[in-house]
Amino acid sequence: MTNVDALGPPLESSDLIVHHAEDVMGTIVTIDVYGPSTVTPELVTPYLSSALASLHNDDSVFSLWKTDSPMSKYRRGELDLASAPDVIGEVLGACQAARELSRGWFDPWALPGGTDPTGYVKGWAAQRALHQLLGAPVHGAIVNAAGDIASFGYPSENEKFQVGITNPLSPSEITAIAALDGCVATSGNYERGQHLLDPYSGDFCTRVASASVMGPDLGLADALATALAVAGTDLLEVIDELSEFEAFTVSFDQQRHWTPGFPLISLAAQD
Amino acid sequence: MKRAPLVVLGSALGLASVLQFHTAPASLSLTGLTTSAGSPASAATARPPTPTTSTSPSTPSLTPGREQGDGGTATTARPPTPTTIRPPASTTTTIVSTGSRSATGPLLNYYFGSLSVNANVTGSKITAVTIGSLSDGGNFRSQSIDAMAIPILEQEAMAAQSSNIQSVSGASYTSAGFIQSLQSALTKLGL
Repeated sequence: MTNVDALGPPLESSDLIVHHAEDVMGTIVTIDVYGPSTVTPELVTPYLSSALASLHNDDSVFSLWKTDSPMSKYRRGELDLASAPDVIGEVLGACQAARELSRGWFDPWALPGGTDPTGYVKGWAAQRALHQLLGAPVHGAIVNAAGDIASFGYPSENEKFQVGITNPLSPSEITAIAALDGCVATSGNYERGQHLLDPYSGDFCTRVASASVMGPDLGLADALATALAVAGTDLLEVIDELSEFEAFTVSFDQQRHWTPGFPLISLAAQD
Repeated sequence: MKRAPLVVLGSALGLASVLQFHTAPASLSLTGLTTSAGSPASAATARPPTPTTSTSPSTPSLTPGREQGDGGTATTARPPTPTTIRPPASTTTTIVSTGSRSATGPLLNYYFGSLSVNANVTGSKITAVTIGSLSDGGNFRSQSIDAMAIPILEQEAMAAQSSNIQSVSGASYTSAGFIQSLQSALTKLGL
């Protein structure tokens, strides 16, 4: 699906020149590109096309919905790493690192049905798509893959990207606003029902309603957010020790916690 | 459907703010955000000065075998402060009507089907934006997407007016169909 929306001139203070939504990876990925008014959307088109091609290509390799994807075949044992696309080994290596960094709370090998790196791949793929936009004559871009966000640059002069974090207990509201420093991923069970597995107990559960992790790499942020949602607030300290990664959680009783460096701008008042 | 209160000052600007993520006159929403100076530096003021242990009473104990946090790094959210929002800059408020009313936009196609958006308004204040109807052709995948996307569509429309936010983390979708139907609903209401 190709659907470049002309939302018209966006904010007065912002320079959104392209807003695109793509049906890919089993969800909707939006791409927003910001640049000076002298840059027409057409100048961005080649870069946008590359970004979309990157998303679809990664989806075709890693989709577990598609039974003939290389990842599906690898999972069934029909393909070994040597004959699989190199990116599968790359992603599994990164997942291994994420498992160690998260003290085992993110574990693609603990999931029923075989190795499932989906918790890493969505963020990783969004970040790869973002890289395709780096050469465009623009000053900022955001790739938002169903709530996992990769970004570079800024929306307009003297501005920084800011993101709202959904209130997991009332998803039509925002619970906090933060400066976007690179990437942010949020995990929780509210979006898709119970789908996060506790690798230690084997049960599907989370200990906080949602967990957000910000950092320079969206794949790792995605994996760490999943781990944090399952492990709960005690894992905040583990993430805090990771250079350049910060985290924010919302508990089931609405309490919010975050690491000292999380670039929080405001919290929504609670009823 | 969730209801989220939201105020739109300036009838003519109300719709524009939905569509253009305009912020200044459309001060607020959702629930009132504490001190939003708009700068990351202000984050420090949103935190209590002394870090405290993050463990919440409702948090189940963790599985033995991993390092237990013993305080120090995570901080607890400050109790909610009933405040607001940046003051509106040169707002032109026009109250169209003081009565409560609602309207539903036309059924429009979106990614996996069609939907219409219903807006409830009191005076010039939008009190709720909900999905009026939804047709996804019974497609299983479409239904699962709907379940994810619809609350987020509502939230995104709300968020667009709340502050200078470029994106939403948690789950975020933009639907041209949603925005167009909302626009029509608001137009019917004179907003």
